[in-house]
Amino acid sequence: MLAMAQQIPAWPQTIEQFERLVEATQDDLVNFAFHQLGNQDDAEDAVQDVYVQAYRDRSKRQRITEVRPYLFRMVRNRCTDFHRSRLRRPAEPVTDLVASNEDTFSRVAAQEQSKELDRLLGGIPSREAEVIRLRAHSELSFAEIAIVVGASVPTVKSRFRYGLDKLRRTLRAKGGTR
Amino acid sequence: MNCQETIYRMTDLLDKEQGPKAELVREHLANCPACRVRFEEHEHIFESVRRARRIAASHQFGAKTMKAIANEAALEATTTGKFWHLQGWRRWAVAACATAQLIFLLPSLAPHFGGRRSASAVLAQSIEAMSNVQTIHMTGRMRTIPGDNFELIGAEYDFVPLELWREYNPSRWRVEKPGRVVVMDGTSSTLYISQLNQYMKASTQAGFVEWLRPLLNPESILQNELDSTKMKPSDATVTESNGNVTLTVRRKAEGSFANTWTKNKSIDESDHTCIYKFDSATKRLQALQVVIHTGSQDVPVLELNDIRYNETPPDKLFALQIPEGATQIIAPEQMSSAVDAILGPKDAAEYFFNALAQKDWNAVLGVYPTSTVPDLVKSYYGGLSILSIGVPFKSGIYAGYFVPYRIRLYDGTVISHNLAVRNDNPQKRWVVDGGF
Repeated sequence: MLAMAQQIPAWPQTIEQFERLVEATQDDLVNFAFHQLGNQDDAEDAVQDVYVQAYRDRSKRQRITEVRPYLFRMVRNRCTDFHRSRLRRPAEPVTDLVASNEDTFSRVAAQEQSKELDRLLGGIPSREAEVIRLRAHSELSFAEIAIVVGASVPTVKSRFRYGLDKLRRTLRAKGGTR
Repeated sequence: MNCQETIYRMTDLLDKEQGPKAELVREHLANCPACRVRFEEHEHIFESVRRARRIAASHQFGAKTMKAIANEAALEATTTGKFWHLQGWRRWAVAACATAQLIFLLPSLAPHFGGRRSASAVLAQSIEAMSNVQTIHMTGRMRTIPGDNFELIGAEYDFVPLELWREYNPSRWRVEKPGRVVVMDGTSSTLYISQLNQYMKASTQAGFVEWLRPLLNPESILQNELDSTKMKPSDATVTESNGNVTLTVRRKAEGSFANTWTKNKSIDESDHTCIYKFDSATKRLQALQVVIHTGSQDVPVLELNDIRYNETPPDKLFALQIPEGATQIIAPEQMSSAVDAILGPKDAAEYFFNALAQKDWNAVLGVYPTSTVPDLVKSYYGGLSILSIGVPFKSGIYAGYFVPYRIRLYDGTVISHNLAVRNDNPQKRWVVDGGF
């Protein structure tokens, strides 16, 4: 998936190219939108809207080469619009939504860890959590994340570092980071 | 590098690609336990987040999204009318609309495709692919009578070869089977029937090839399928296997069959299934099979298994040479000997057979729309005797009437058949259209 994601040289122009784009990026974008909106249905609605918008505007975006970060940026903007236009529904428990083919014990353990991480990330400023998730989940570089969030690269790095520092302090207070 | 700068720059080690000062940061970490612990804690937290489970798009998300994009493409095509003068855009637009409509008719296709591959995307891509071809050459076979019209099919007939060529720029086509060929050379259409040495010239839109006509515009096939108001979601399915996407469309026979004379004599007048096979890689139409369902059996009547694109057909394919002495089939309004006093279909049949019986060829031309009576008709039917002429009836979708007749030819052979006559022309003239 990530290998495919890195092979998007330019803004797609045909339906076939869009199908490949959707295939390569849908999980990362939905995951990103989910953490913005706290709800899978809304997240998928937002991402679908973005793909359609990306198709609609394909000719005027054909010079854009940083396709993945721009898609994330579009999703981020769309999520902001969602926030403005809707009352945010309660977040669904992440553990009910993740897919896995591991054994039950491993799955439960992983789910518990995911829940804990979500709680921890929920305890730091959202802009810092956002950068950490984008770097960790979406394989975007700091320079690409800067495009997504509309900030400078040093600002992105600072948010990342401050976020990790806060998580580190929280974990230390709980008795260790390991 | 001191501790303050190292703390500031240690983030670079967790970037996708490490910057030029990464080595200096590593050197400091190797020699400074406090900074090293801090970095290892950052790294551990980051890796924990990275490894944590993520939300995945739902199973149907990809298909739903491609459906939305296909709809957007159709909407875009219908609202960009200013571009429609460009042939390619027009072809794409018409096809895209058809796709969008078909997609609405095929709401439950995604499961057929497994994973996230969507039927709508495949169909939309096939439309795109078909809209871009320059030439098409189809070869196949059809259960019909050599020399008879391109509409006629029958489960009891043997297969005869069939070949279609289509060129888009300039717009020309040719359809051929033994005994009958139609060429549209860009300015007019010409039909030639070799057995009767007859030909007919008409406009580029002449309907000489009947059911086969949509195949000359493959990007419109889906539109053609959708033109049936009877189509329901259950009538169409899409499957994918072995590198092919197969669109299967089932259709009921069209027309009224109080008299079943025309039932199963054309594809439209048969309960039938069209099986369109598209290549998954190229997205182009690869094959077509039509199977009619007669009630007792399912019989393939049309098969196009060799479809080639962007070949360069020789110019002579679109230049039909009519042999000298060929008689011309003319439109009813051009008939100089037309008999306007004929009152109805039975009257027309009686007039026609009486003229043949008396070998009054000028009288024959009163209802038989040709420039002269073909020699084959003269020698075969001249001097016949009428045994009976029955009550005219309608059947299927034919615009005219069928008149049952029984005649004895000059050599003693008795023939029972139905003469096709019609008067759906501006002058309302009764003309013999076939059936002898």
